[in-house]
Amino acid sequence: MTRILAAAGIALLLVAPLLTGNTFYQHLMIMVLFSTLLGTSWNLLGGFAGQVSFGHAAFLGVGAYTTMLFYLKLNLSPWLGMLAGGGLGALFALPIGLICFRLRGPYFSLATLAVAEIVRLVALNWEQLTNGPVGLLITTLPQISIAGRAIDWESKIPFYYLVATLAVLAMTLIYAVSRSRFGAYLAAVREDIDSAEAVGIDSVRVRVLALALSAFVAGVAGGFYALYFRYIDPDAVFAISLSVEMVFIAVVGGLATTAGPIVGAVVLVSVAEVFRERFAAGHLIFYGLFMMLVIRYLPEGIWGRLRLLFRFAQG
Amino acid sequence: MALLTVSGLRKDFGGLRAISDLSFELMPGEILGLIGPNGAGKSTVFNLITGFIPPSAGEILFEGKSILNLKPSAVVKKGIARTFQVARPFRNLSVLENVVLPALLHEPSRPRAEAKARALLERMQLAAKSGTNAADLSLSEQKRLEIARTLATDPKILFLDEPMGGLNPSEVEDACRLVQRIRQDGITIILVEHHMKAIMAISDRLIVLHHGVKIAEGIPQDVVRNRDVIAAYLGKRAA
Repeated sequence: MTRILAAAGIALLLVAPLLTGNTFYQHLMIMVLFSTLLGTSWNLLGGFAGQVSFGHAAFLGVGAYTTMLFYLKLNLSPWLGMLAGGGLGALFALPIGLICFRLRGPYFSLATLAVAEIVRLVALNWEQLTNGPVGLLITTLPQISIAGRAIDWESKIPFYYLVATLAVLAMTLIYAVSRSRFGAYLAAVREDIDSAEAVGIDSVRVRVLALALSAFVAGVAGGFYALYFRYIDPDAVFAISLSVEMVFIAVVGGLATTAGPIVGAVVLVSVAEVFRERFAAGHLIFYGLFMMLVIRYLPEGIWGRLRLLFRFAQG
Repeated sequence: MALLTVSGLRKDFGGLRAISDLSFELMPGEILGLIGPNGAGKSTVFNLITGFIPPSAGEILFEGKSILNLKPSAVVKKGIARTFQVARPFRNLSVLENVVLPALLHEPSRPRAEAKARALLERMQLAAKSGTNAADLSLSEQKRLEIARTLATDPKILFLDEPMGGLNPSEVEDACRLVQRIRQDGITIILVEHHMKAIMAISDRLIVLHHGVKIAEGIPQDVVRNRDVIAAYLGKRAA
């Protein structure tokens, strides 16, 4: 069943951009997959390990700046830079995890919020490195060709396939984790930290590892953001609203599920666009109302509910 | 040689001395009962030895080596497992998964860890409940699950914190037999218990704590006749 769903999903992803020549719709598809990447990153830590982070934009931002700076200052390939962004995001997460996982429950969440704000302020004020509030801009991306044909970075299609690949890889990673011993340990830590310790699970190590993996995915997503928009500034990539969006995607889709974030991303990006068009300036009010309804009536998320119904139907 | 040696153990919570200068030894294969009135510091002793709270002073040797300042998970890996006074299963995981998790500690292959977990559940008469969520078990089932979970870590010493608390008389008898069977498997046991009849029957030796101080130690029959112990439980006039 999982395989059929996965194969159908990948087939759909392959043909989706060819169905429309409208670049706005192509942009929306890219945003859906970018959001999937974010939701997947957050879900690994928040869903599977049960450690709610309100500051995940910190890792996204570190990845975005790493990619930009590697290209602009060191002239490294931005595609390698994107990987480096993930690596640096994970590296940056290690000390944060070692410090913050001494805190439990709401205190951990508050600490992550503080970390994201600190990083944003550093990026705003460290002007020699980050250009401060002015931000960083890439005018042209280096040429690469596949099978003799130069890739046209002015088109949306190459970005679509890039982010689709990243999203599929991230979901594969989550799926593998959820079925591994490490995944079982995450579930134990989510359920009860003391009990996890009592059966020999090093709860700090397990959580730090989950955070690092999660930060890696967020960092790569940040790198993609930088290359796709070709412009970043601290308020864009370190924004609290971005951190909160990551939480929403995972929660609306389904905590601790593999497919949840992509479902959440499709729903939230569509809903946001429809509301923006329909209600203009008031759209956030309706977006908020929508969120409240989902949390009240679908606490296990859309995909989480579907999965329950499916299991129920199977008996 | 003693399996576990505790010497000069002290714990202060702010200005309150919860445990003062506690020393005792645990011999391989014995069942040691730790008793005392409410608030005597029994659970604190468990938390100190198993690494859940750090001692203010003292030394704890397991098989001759210090286990001071180890994390609880590291203490478990050495071979000291514990239960909690109020059973704390992984509530939203299945009964089977609750026991597979600790089995994975020494048995990385999942099928083999699962086989080991199933055997333990069989022994604890929980096999029929393997698929149930742990939260849906009765109190006595949760207590047995908790013991199965600790046994899955292959402990040398088992710390049982009130394994009989809240059980009915026939369940208490079953629990006593279970504790003795575990000892027959070569596991040394130290238990805190308020059920006096039960602890008298199964313990080889008793230690009595009162206000964090050891006031008596010896075989059960002697300890219950000790004047200090009677005074601690019933007041000075009764002694």
